[in-house]
Amino acid sequence: MLAAVNWGQAIADAIALGALYGLVAVGIGLVFGVLRLVNFAYGELITAGAYVLAYTYGWPRPISILLCVGAVVALALAQELVAFRPLRRGGATPATMLVATFAVSFLLQAIYLLAFGSRGQIVGTLGRLNSAFTVDGVDIRWILLVTVVTGLVLLGATAAVLERTSVGLHIRAAATDFRTSRLLGVRANRVIMLSFVISGVLAAAVSVLYTVSNPLVQPTMGVPITIFALVGVVVGGMDRLWSAALGGFAVGLVYGLFSDVMSSTSSVYLPAVVYGLVIVVLLLRPAGLFGAWRSAQVERV
Amino acid sequence: MRRVLELAGPIALVAATAAIASGISSAHQLEFETALVMVAIVVALYVFVGNSGVISFGHASFVAAGAYLAGLVTLDPETKNFTTPGLFHVLLHAQIGLVPSLALAAAVGAAYAIVVGLPLMRLSGLPAGIATFAVLGITYDVLSYWGKIGPGVQTLSGVPEASSWSIAAGVVIVIVAAYAYQRSRFGRMLRATREDPAAARASGISIYRQRLLAFALSGALAGLAGGLYVHQLGIITPELFYLDLTFVTLAMLVFGGMGSLWGAVVGALAISALNSFLGDAENTVDVGFHLTLPNGTRLVTVGAVMALVLILKPSGLTGGREFGRWRR
Amino acid sequence: MSEPEAALELEGLEVAYRGVPAVRGIDLTVGRGEIVGLVGPNGAGKSSTLHAIMGAAPSPRGDVRLYGRSLRGLSPERVARLGVALVPEGRHIYSSLTVEENLRLGYAARRSHDGLDEDVAWVHALFPVVHEFESRKAGALSGGQQQQLAIARALVAKPDVLLLDEPSLGLAPTIVERLFETLGEIRDRGVSILLVEQRAQLTIAFADRTHVIANGALKLTLGPQDAGDTARLTAAYLS
Repeated sequence: MLAAVNWGQAIADAIALGALYGLVAVGIGLVFGVLRLVNFAYGELITAGAYVLAYTYGWPRPISILLCVGAVVALALAQELVAFRPLRRGGATPATMLVATFAVSFLLQAIYLLAFGSRGQIVGTLGRLNSAFTVDGVDIRWILLVTVVTGLVLLGATAAVLERTSVGLHIRAAATDFRTSRLLGVRANRVIMLSFVISGVLAAAVSVLYTVSNPLVQPTMGVPITIFALVGVVVGGMDRLWSAALGGFAVGLVYGLFSDVMSSTSSVYLPAVVYGLVIVVLLLRPAGLFGAWRSAQVERV
Repeated sequence: MRRVLELAGPIALVAATAAIASGISSAHQLEFETALVMVAIVVALYVFVGNSGVISFGHASFVAAGAYLAGLVTLDPETKNFTTPGLFHVLLHAQIGLVPSLALAAAVGAAYAIVVGLPLMRLSGLPAGIATFAVLGITYDVLSYWGKIGPGVQTLSGVPEASSWSIAAGVVIVIVAAYAYQRSRFGRMLRATREDPAAARASGISIYRQRLLAFALSGALAGLAGGLYVHQLGIITPELFYLDLTFVTLAMLVFGGMGSLWGAVVGALAISALNSFLGDAENTVDVGFHLTLPNGTRLVTVGAVMALVLILKPSGLTGGREFGRWRR
Repeated sequence: MSEPEAALELEGLEVAYRGVPAVRGIDLTVGRGEIVGLVGPNGAGKSSTLHAIMGAAPSPRGDVRLYGRSLRGLSPERVARLGVALVPEGRHIYSSLTVEENLRLGYAARRSHDGLDEDVAWVHALFPVVHEFESRKAGALSGGQQQQLAIARALVAKPDVLLLDEPSLGLAPTIVERLFETLGEIRDRGVSILLVEQRAQLTIAFADRTHVIANGALKLTLGPQDAGDTARLTAAYLS
């Protein structure tokens, strides 16, 4: 039934989704910044974290979450060491690198399917956060607050590492001009590993937060998350982290709002509408909504 | 001599595959025919991606357009009245033969590619990749829910099936067209833009126009391949034309070597063969001894082999060279 | 043993890009505290030589030694940390970072932070703009100021050997003159310098020794006394 749209409710839910996609976008954007590598296998990190949470359900929560972070960071580093670094050594073209990340994503999904089956596992780690309190007729679930606060804290922490530490300065330099930074003595591999660690921590946070609202973990769970966040990164502009974060947030927000506001018969076309908007944005501003007015900057791949 | 070899190599492989397909049990026949269709799709993809160096995630859309149209116009109107009464009038009542349906498939693939390419070929790099991905997303979403152009999320069966040899003939047409294009002035100009965009521009080549031309041809061939696909499988459903097909065909192209037609053909056949063998092995296969693999091994192995080849030989199995050109 | 101890030695250095040779067997020595010039026409192989020293050229042949230690096969960051600093052509400062952040990037190659404050004070004294504009974005500096920043950034790495790739490019003559004076002061701190330049006469007059490179090979070696000898120089350029 189409009751009058509760805008407050719609906005509250959409903000939570936006915050999540913002985090994913930063994780993808950070590695892209340093390596010019779009990691399609990023979502599989989130899936891995969710499986850890599912299989450690019933353990003390802090341990379960710590294991999740550890496993995801380890997998992120493994992606770099086993797949991406040998590829770069071999002089792979950007197109090959892109397809390789696809292959890694496909491989991890197949491994999850083989190891954990297709039926899915349930995560209940922070299920209690689904309870809500009411403000002015708007139900605000605790997870909304937790997601937004965690998102802001992690973004702040990432920004602090990048802006205030010398290794953060090295990451920023490497992201701008990798070659010159190495000539200056910046240790390329350390910088790259560190960006994978940070992006792994962000992915683990998303595993924990995302599974509160979507407790069913399946092998392909990470695919739509990656796709939408990646769209956010490109739409926002990938030359800066905050523009990637804003892009991810915007895509999540728009998606969340439309899905609440559109009627159920037309909401099936919501992905098409979002993708259509993406094309329009890319045509009008190839460097992204929040990026600088330089379209030549992103001519890679 | 070399030129003859460049074209003869791929065609000989296709003919051999078709010969095996027409002479074996029906269960395996299906796998060989699918491999042939994959060759057509990957070669269509190669025409654009290989020659321009720009990745497209949108080609499954053109395959889908060809498959839907070729499938719907060859289905018996009575069946359609019963299963999908909501179709557009013309789709509901039309019934034409196999060959005209393939021509229509190529036409609709080209038309769709031109509509998409007119705005999108202005982009390059990652924005171009994401934009073509968005096209794929839109196509999949619309095919899944719009009852006027197909069965929605349902599967529509009963599309007339073609013989192995007619499918092979279609694949050969795709290969010959791809070869003719790459030998043509236009193909050479596009490859020049891939090697050195600035120099190509300076010598008066319009990157936009050359890419659009290749995209349109590539779309036509993808549409034709989609027509072959639907006449091989006999069914229509949107799931066939989404992420899996996109990923597998791109991986086949890169695996074989995206710089050459030979690479596209070899990549498609090699991955198809591996996939079929492992699928059989999951149900026990005799390779001197009886080999039985646990279910799910197929996907893991295919994924691992693709990742491994990319890591060890980023330029693909053929190193991007044509058949008959082994030495530099 | 009468010759000065060699800070940097190149022996039979060869570089090729995709099979096309850019450097064809160069032997060259920079003694401790020396300024050695390397001049030649565009595309003669000057920048390739510097990149090969840094380990940034694809699989070079021959050997490069820093105080007798071979740098063969080392990564650019390793070479930088062993004490070779490059001021790249076109400066390559980070225009979106502040001047101070650009300078701090230079610390990356230091082996220790002992004496960092004195080195920074020295660099500030050499290039006052680097101190004065430290909180500005480096992109807002003029060309000459950016060049000073690029050299300052290399110096705070406390290198034994400084490689400069066409530092005078795009600078006004008076500024170039001052730049060369500063290089003299840097040498007086014990830094050995390999100076790659297009302005041949100026370099020949200034450097202890200047090699003329053309077509990937050394053609001629000139001293300051030869600065007026344009005939030999022209001949070497055209060879």
